[in-house]
Amino acid sequence: MLMRGRRWLVEIEDTDESFRCEENEHLLQGMLRMGKKGIPSGCHGGGCGVCKIRILDGEAEFGVMSAEHVNGEERERGYALACRTWPRSDLRIRVVGKMARNVLRPKRKYGFV
Amino acid sequence: MSISGVLRIGHINLRVLDMEAALDHYTNILGMKQTDADDHGNIYLKCWDEVDKYSVILSKADKAGMDHIAYKVASEAELNTYAQRIRDYGIEVAEEAAGTLLSCGPSLRFTLPSGHVMRLYAEKEQLGTAVGTTNPPPWPTDYPGIKAHWLDHALLMCELNPEKGVNTVARNSEFMRDALDFFLTEQVMVGPDGDIQAATWMACTNTPHDIAFVGAPKSGLHHCAFFLDEWYDVLKAADWMAMNNVKIDVTPQRHGITRGYTIYFFDPSGNRNETFAGLGYMASPDRPPITWTEDQLWRGIFYHTGEEAGEFTSVYT
Repeated sequence: MLMRGRRWLVEIEDTDESFRCEENEHLLQGMLRMGKKGIPSGCHGGGCGVCKIRILDGEAEFGVMSAEHVNGEERERGYALACRTWPRSDLRIRVVGKMARNVLRPKRKYGFV
Repeated sequence: MSISGVLRIGHINLRVLDMEAALDHYTNILGMKQTDADDHGNIYLKCWDEVDKYSVILSKADKAGMDHIAYKVASEAELNTYAQRIRDYGIEVAEEAAGTLLSCGPSLRFTLPSGHVMRLYAEKEQLGTAVGTTNPPPWPTDYPGIKAHWLDHALLMCELNPEKGVNTVARNSEFMRDALDFFLTEQVMVGPDGDIQAATWMACTNTPHDIAFVGAPKSGLHHCAFFLDEWYDVLKAADWMAMNNVKIDVTPQRHGITRGYTIYFFDPSGNRNETFAGLGYMASPDRPPITWTEDQLWRGIFYHTGEEAGEFTSVYT
């Protein structure tokens, strides 16, 4: 029998949107399934830092993530990378940093920057 | 025969967040083998077609990215010449004793204008290829994964902020040319007058690039690339990655720049890897460099769509 994890509801406070996320998938996978444009899908390994979120409410389990993007103090305040976060209850989150900026990405002036 | 005193890329030292996951990736996905480990827990690996003992060093760290990149020069005499030339250029050089780099002779350590640490060395213990030098078969049967031939090149993201007068792409490129004898094969020129060098591809061998520099808000590692023979190998490599849930950034396609066949994907710590296939063209110092203009720069990067794919500029370590 195929084991399915429990599904939790994740609310994004900034946009009033929500998505379902299974216990065995990270928040970024759930978020990408919303089909919304502008969600940065980066390395999925906790290294690049584009999927930074802040958990306002709820329980989650975390994988190792780069200290360059989420430091110890931030971790205590609920910051995490979505690709290293597995839900353990319904969650309320906020998108931050590049994750938030990406939606309103300004036009580049010098090719790559 | 080498064109200049720098023979080829020697190794890249990557920082990884989870050593077990990283080792699994570089062995079972890329097809490298571990050849050594040191007292600090660093792991050393080589590809089957490489003769030197290692081309990748994995170091456990709390941040992903590149610790340093190293190139091999032809002799210790030339290493000493380079030490002087780098100093004359105005960059400090630390001369390191043999053994500072595992199984290597003396090495030079210095920092590029972009902030990346580079090393040069002349000697590294040789283990030989997996197929030997007597009547060798064309490929080994006992290597897993995509059986990458060798570490091919790295692309370093270099701080570029023309409004503040910062262009470490141009400064790195000038240094590599003047102090280390690399030559420019291709470049991207941007800005209102097309006079800002926003990316460069440089060679010390006959391949279209042994190193590349691309402008970015902050310096870092964009990717390190591993060589495959041909287009079909690239297809099969992407199949293998999908079967193993490797996060692919850009599926198989062609670069306009260098003409290479590529896949971009990530190691489990978020460091971007590339498979690079095809020899593109025969690079040579007397071959005029190719220029890509700002309006066609994405045609240069991803030839078929001419558009940015994946997270080329937004994600790197």
